[in-house]
Amino acid sequence: MDSVMNSVQQSLDDNQPLSCQALASLRSLIINPTTSDSTLSSVLDALTRSLQLSRDSVILHHTLKLLTDLATRRPHLSPVALDLLRSDSLFHSDSPRLVGESLSALLSLTSTGNEIDAARFVSLCLGPSVSLRLCLLRNAEKLVVRESVLLAVFLGFTRDPFPHARKEALDGLVKLCKNGDFDDRDVIEACYCRAVELLHDTENYVRSAAVHAVCEWGKLVVISSEDGNRQDLSDAVFIQLGGMVRDMSIEVRLEAFDALGKIGLISEDILLQTLCKKVLGINKDKIYTPIEGLDISASSVAGAFIHGLEDEFSEVRMSACFSLRTLTVFSLQFACEALKLMMDMLNDDSMIVRLQALDTIHHMATSDHLKVDKIDMHRFLSTLVDSSSVIRSLTRKILKLAKLPQFKLFKSCIDGLLENLEAYPQDEVDVFSVLFHIGRNHGKFTVHIIEEVSPELEPTFGGKLGFDSTRVAAFLVLAISAPLSHEKDVGVIPPRIFSYAVTWLGRISYALSDIMNQEMFLAYLSKCSTSSVISLADFKIKETLPTVEGDAPINLCSTADSPVGVPFWKNSGGTSDFHHQKQFGLGKSAAHAEYELGEHSELRKYVNLIFKKAKDFWSLVPLGCTNEALKGIRACKEELTSFNKESPGYAGAVTFTLQYLLVVENLAAVWEYLSPTKMFRPYRVGNLALLFAKLDRRLREIRNRFIGLSKGEELQILELSLVALLLRLSKMDICCYDTTIKILLSTVAHAEFLHKEGSIEPSNFIVEVRKSLHDAGSSSSSSTYKPLLFQKLLDSFSLQQFVLYGTPRYIHAELEVPGNDSENPLPFIPGLPASIPLAITLHNVSTESRLWLRISMSEELIQFVFLDSNLICSGNRSSNEVREFTFVAPFYLTPKAISFTSSVSLGIECFSENVDRVNVSGGPKCELTYLCPEKEIFLCKSAVRSAFI
Amino acid sequence: MFIPVDLKQTVQVDKDLQIRAYYAGHVIGAAMFYAKVGDAAMVYTGDYNMTPDRHLGAAQIDRLQLDLLITESTYATTVRDSRYGREREFLKAVHNCVAAGGKVLIPTFALGRAQELCILLEDYWERMNLKVPIYFSAGLTIQANMYYKMLINWTSQKIKETYATHNAFDFKNVRNFDRSLINAPGPCVLFATPGMIVGGFSLEVFMQWAPSENNLVTLPGYCVAGTIGHKLMSGKPTKIDLDKDTQIDVRCQIHQLSFSPHTDAKGIMDLVKFLSPKHAILVHGEKPKMATLKERIQSELGIRCYFPANNETVTIPLTQYVKADASNTFIRSCLNPNFKFSTCSSVDNSYLDSNESKAVSRLSVSDDRVSEGILVVGKGKKAKVIHQDELLNTFGEKKHEIQFAYCFPMHMTRTEDIPSASDLLRGLEKCTLISRLSTILSNELSGGNILDLGEQLQVESFRVSVCSSDNCPHRLSGSFQNNSELVFFCCCWSVADEKLAWKIISIMKGSTLQTT
Repeated sequence: MDSVMNSVQQSLDDNQPLSCQALASLRSLIINPTTSDSTLSSVLDALTRSLQLSRDSVILHHTLKLLTDLATRRPHLSPVALDLLRSDSLFHSDSPRLVGESLSALLSLTSTGNEIDAARFVSLCLGPSVSLRLCLLRNAEKLVVRESVLLAVFLGFTRDPFPHARKEALDGLVKLCKNGDFDDRDVIEACYCRAVELLHDTENYVRSAAVHAVCEWGKLVVISSEDGNRQDLSDAVFIQLGGMVRDMSIEVRLEAFDALGKIGLISEDILLQTLCKKVLGINKDKIYTPIEGLDISASSVAGAFIHGLEDEFSEVRMSACFSLRTLTVFSLQFACEALKLMMDMLNDDSMIVRLQALDTIHHMATSDHLKVDKIDMHRFLSTLVDSSSVIRSLTRKILKLAKLPQFKLFKSCIDGLLENLEAYPQDEVDVFSVLFHIGRNHGKFTVHIIEEVSPELEPTFGGKLGFDSTRVAAFLVLAISAPLSHEKDVGVIPPRIFSYAVTWLGRISYALSDIMNQEMFLAYLSKCSTSSVISLADFKIKETLPTVEGDAPINLCSTADSPVGVPFWKNSGGTSDFHHQKQFGLGKSAAHAEYELGEHSELRKYVNLIFKKAKDFWSLVPLGCTNEALKGIRACKEELTSFNKESPGYAGAVTFTLQYLLVVENLAAVWEYLSPTKMFRPYRVGNLALLFAKLDRRLREIRNRFIGLSKGEELQILELSLVALLLRLSKMDICCYDTTIKILLSTVAHAEFLHKEGSIEPSNFIVEVRKSLHDAGSSSSSSTYKPLLFQKLLDSFSLQQFVLYGTPRYIHAELEVPGNDSENPLPFIPGLPASIPLAITLHNVSTESRLWLRISMSEELIQFVFLDSNLICSGNRSSNEVREFTFVAPFYLTPKAISFTSSVSLGIECFSENVDRVNVSGGPKCELTYLCPEKEIFLCKSAVRSAFI
Repeated sequence: MFIPVDLKQTVQVDKDLQIRAYYAGHVIGAAMFYAKVGDAAMVYTGDYNMTPDRHLGAAQIDRLQLDLLITESTYATTVRDSRYGREREFLKAVHNCVAAGGKVLIPTFALGRAQELCILLEDYWERMNLKVPIYFSAGLTIQANMYYKMLINWTSQKIKETYATHNAFDFKNVRNFDRSLINAPGPCVLFATPGMIVGGFSLEVFMQWAPSENNLVTLPGYCVAGTIGHKLMSGKPTKIDLDKDTQIDVRCQIHQLSFSPHTDAKGIMDLVKFLSPKHAILVHGEKPKMATLKERIQSELGIRCYFPANNETVTIPLTQYVKADASNTFIRSCLNPNFKFSTCSSVDNSYLDSNESKAVSRLSVSDDRVSEGILVVGKGKKAKVIHQDELLNTFGEKKHEIQFAYCFPMHMTRTEDIPSASDLLRGLEKCTLISRLSTILSNELSGGNILDLGEQLQVESFRVSVCSSDNCPHRLSGSFQNNSELVFFCCCWSVADEKLAWKIISIMKGSTLQTT
């Protein structure tokens, strides 16, 4: 190191610039992380001096590289390095390449505050190097240059013969326009005109940048003008942009539709023209002249949105839908026309477009611009039986707000909802809620319809209500909404209907939980069933959702500037709730849960017999007859498998026994490897480590996957853990001593705790272990390694017979990805999160447990998703034992690939003695015990397909 | 000679001719051709479609520099509305029919429409969870499907994107039709050839299904006169005589399709507008309609347009390009951007009519790089572009400049009694006079940078100094007496600043110099 520095010094003292070789050796100093700071400062000094001596571009280039490396590796030295980068010989050199390199180095190293002299900036821009010019234009924001200078430069370079320079200049103008405030009308008009000229550029990207610029500067033109003129101006800008929607390049069209939605107030004639390909009479000879010389005819905007909605690319169609949405606010007539188109869009072949169309309709509904007529209604209601749940739920959301003028329409709405309910029973909750809302909005119609169907609601002969019919329930929901109607004098629902509704209390009140809770609901029903006149004041009904005006717009496509690219499943709020909490079934009967093993003494006897056998076989192990012992244990395992595990109650006990046998088997295998009697038997460390890993996993499972064990039983399991730890400690080369000792200590402490809790006499073995640990702790150096001590302790271990008294219950889970296999992959878009719909069944999992989904593509690419306990609760309707629910897991690590597979498994986070666990950010803190085998999922790149359920 | 051409592939056919194909929509394999012979460039397109449908994309072409565009004009005046409406009507008719238990017969040609309609139905079936079977009758259509599967890159974006997971032409709900199924109970949808029900299988099925009012027959957009399709289209007959022995009782519903793969008038206009060729020629269409379209193209887009009849010759002027060398200086100057900002006043009629305040002046930017070049074509030599600064050197000429000069007297008042102007000129320094003048000018003259250079005053190229010679050549004939209150100024300027010069002179003549 010193020799390098010496030779460097020497050459510098001779006023010789550093050679390439010297620079290379300096580089090795710089990348070496152990190089001291003082050395590096002298390296910096040397580089500084060398810079003053050399003009050779190769040397300068290498020096620049070194400085960049140095600055990235040693942040505290970077100010000096940055100064050097800014120095005359680099940044101010004559070679554009060097300037470019030092500029990009500067930009990559510092985010802000790169001051550059305005004159220097301009002269660099005007230099012959195109790449440098592009770099400067692109990063002009990051360099601190006066706005006026920037404006002149950008405006000038819109004339550049290089198309990329023109594009960058336009982009720069857009940024300037957004940040700065300009009040010089000349400047604004000049920029606008220049942008309009570039709309006819030959290059796609220039045109699309020009569209953006026209939009932004056009808005400024409008704002900066006198009030009386504004309407015409904004119309003119709108028309100018509307002329671009027939461009052949998709990027231009996309930009154009985004821009159309941003202009603001547009007059009705022009808006209507965008929905009609033929030029309307009123617009025939309309010529706008926003700025002298830029005459534009209103006809050029003809049918703009028709074209947009028919576009080949779904992105463009989305954008057109989105822009329509913002424009419908301005004109009722326009909204009506647009609605017809939106209804047609519900037939689009792309799911995202259909969603966006629904969203637009919803938006119109919230802004009170929704007037549906009969033909459209038919189209619209057919989306209620769409195979995609998101579409259905969004449609219902719109229906919640609907206000229908005719009974016929109302009836067809109700029929549509009933059809929905019939085809997709899982939508029940939401359908009920919609029925209730729609009933409240149309009190009279409701009363009328209930009169019509009342024979259906009456108990059939034999006094039985049609309880099995969800249809009846749906009508009941509708009926009970009438007294809360927003209309006056709606008529009377027969009181007995309300008492029928009580029989559906659970399901209905669950569906209406956003309005009232179950108790209030019951009170409401009982009051209504006794008197036909009720006052709303009696009930504190939450008025958050129900009225036509009240709904907050759905957050389906976020309100970001452009809807394109916003994945709709990332939405929050409304729709996702249904998505996540939709229930599959009601779980298994609760009766099974109460099954007591005690009544099946036969099984218990049998299991305990096996435990006894296991104990007997174990006694062979310390004697060295491990093979015989293993054989015996395996035979026990086979015996167990003959048991029918399907039968309720058996599962827990049998699985537990099997697990126990597996642990014992593993212990025996490890014991044999390490047994003192076979001291000199050669073994392979790798094998042993594998065995240990297996043993650990089995132990973790038996400790964490069973509940309902008594303290004594737990203690016996703990003993096995202790043995495993001692086995580990007895062999120096396979354990990390400190950690293992720590775990041992905490395990012993846990055992002690169990003793006290259950007032059980500790076994000899545990007493021994505790004592020797205490001794070891008191002796001077705790870190001295005493394998012999541990072996002695192991000798004192003898497997006691495990006696099963209670009913261990087995925690496990089933994971399904409905309808997914290698033939039917799930769709995903590279780089965006993919959603993986999972049907999860949990057995015996308590709501307190922390569950994690582990989704992995490979050993390195693992993602954990936490399952909210609320979600687990939501699946709990009938039984504590079995919960079924669906969950849509996001998978963020989608690769840029056509297709890939990943595997999912469900794990429970369990307490572990391993205190030093590294906390993986985002993942579980403790180790996971997996509750089900890994499930393979197939995903395939796709535009969104209808498989999003 | 056959040359296989792929989309956007440029093929050099021979020394002069270069062609490139662009996607035209319409039908699989349809292309627009760009052809370039020497300097002349043109696009020829047969049938194309500017709006996409379910399986084909819209025509797609670059913005090219064209001398000529030749385009079809089948629908020269028709403007079609959105295809969604047509789709909705079709789906509604089909859905209502099958929901009521009826059978739907869709007679089609093998290629194009059948796939389009089938994709539409398939998608709808999928979404609505319908289980009604869809049948394809003949092997012909199924073979066509096979070609569609192979030629995926000629289809629309959506199909291209999804075909890795699911080829849109693998119809899940579609089965092969068997004759025995004609009278099988239950609803179904059947695609059968030929399209106009002139015979073959579609006629056979039609004869069986037509008598039931539950059934539906959809007709293609166009049927040749004399076919059953045509008869059904023109009015709703209750009976159709097939031949003199056979009569078909028609009670089924009829739905007319209007799916067409041709572009409409708006599409033609859009294409012409996008390409902005120098000339356009319309081919294929009805004459009066073509004339209307021609008028629109000429008046709205300002493009010369023709629609020649068969055997008619149209001559079109072409752009001539001259290849020229460029001098080094010119190239070097072209490398550096050289833009200028100027405030150009637009002089148009509206400005003349109205008062001064409405005069519009706009800030504009120009890049003079190229206009600084001068094309030099010598006899028998190759043309060359040189930079304007080089011009004089190249031809060994001197620069000529026109200068104006004028000498005129200016009034002067004295507050003190000083004998005469000649005395004054001797006694007073010229500089004082000039600085006085400078004050006057800066007061009167708005704008303009007045430079006081001691004995001279300069505004742009206008220079003025005190003239001490009585015989100044620029002085107009001595109509002035030797008035002591007059002092002569001699000025000169170049052509560019003529206006300014006269303005200054008039200011000077109108004012009086005060001296102490």
